[in-house]
Amino acid sequence: MRRPTRWVALGVGVIIAAFGVLLAVQGREETSVPRLVREHGPAPAIRATTIDGRTVDPARLAGRAYVVNFFNSWCIPCIDELPALREFYAAHADDPDFAMIGVVRDDEVDAVRTFVREQRIPWPVVFEGADRIGLDFGTTGQPETYVVSPDGTVVCGALGESSRAALETWLDAARLGKECV
Amino acid sequence: MSAAERGGRRRVAWVLLGLVTVGALGVLVARSTRPSDAPAARVTRLEQQIACPVCDGQSVAESNAPEARAIRDDIPERVADGQTDAEIRAAYVARYGDGVLLAPAGSGLGLVAWALPLCVLALGGLGVVVAVRRWSRVTRLVPDADDVATVEAARREAGEQS
Repeated sequence: MRRPTRWVALGVGVIIAAFGVLLAVQGREETSVPRLVREHGPAPAIRATTIDGRTVDPARLAGRAYVVNFFNSWCIPCIDELPALREFYAAHADDPDFAMIGVVRDDEVDAVRTFVREQRIPWPVVFEGADRIGLDFGTTGQPETYVVSPDGTVVCGALGESSRAALETWLDAARLGKECV
Repeated sequence: MSAAERGGRRRVAWVLLGLVTVGALGVLVARSTRPSDAPAARVTRLEQQIACPVCDGQSVAESNAPEARAIRDDIPERVADGQTDAEIRAAYVARYGDGVLLAPAGSGLGLVAWALPLCVLALGGLGVVVAVRRWSRVTRLVPDADDVATVEAARREAGEQS
């Protein structure tokens, strides 16, 4: 090795370049598919009381395909997706193997009560303990929708506004125990 | 001073430099206090180590996002349940990914982030040592026969003039 300092400098340069590449590759995940949906993990147990006093517990959800929708009253995309959610719920509310739960992400209880009444939301909405449920699902925004198969696996869902067609596709997949992504 | 003496003194200087460096590092390590294992201290430390998953660079201690609030409520429960700091960090990584750790993990790719600066430092130090050794090996000017003859002639001439 005739010029050791040159080799040392080259080594330092290579290491710094490798570090830069590593940082670039390690960039934050930006995806509209929540992590729990991508990994098809088991659905976290939901034990809560809805704002109108109904009880939600894992026993009532067991064996059903169900939808969990995280929302806020002040969130514009949440308001925009409400017509699709209402149509979807109306089409399946009487299905014995179906359930749907709304979970408030970051809101005031009075604002939520008013929102539910004014928007005529018929599905159960959870406020107390919603932070815990959001943490268990690993939510990162709103609206965020998860669809769970009858065996308790999170199979489909998305962060962002959901369409009626997407909800129907996800429910069909969940009933068959298929994963969407 | 002979070349052997100069070499000996240089070696002593390097040994002294090494001793001073090791001593300084020892004092630094001795002065750094061991983190407390008290539950409240662990909760505070973990709140500062876990990033708010929906914020940019804020810890859950600093953020008021719902996820940060939920994690702040969750950490004391996990500490009370007897989970270790590593287990608690791993639980949030499982939910939100590696980005939820403000300091890189001590394994996998995170280990690279810790090791790279040390490698660069070691290579830089090696470079300095190599450079200093090369500079110290530069041959000093030694008078050849012609130079000696020229100087002698000049001295003789100066002697004749005086």
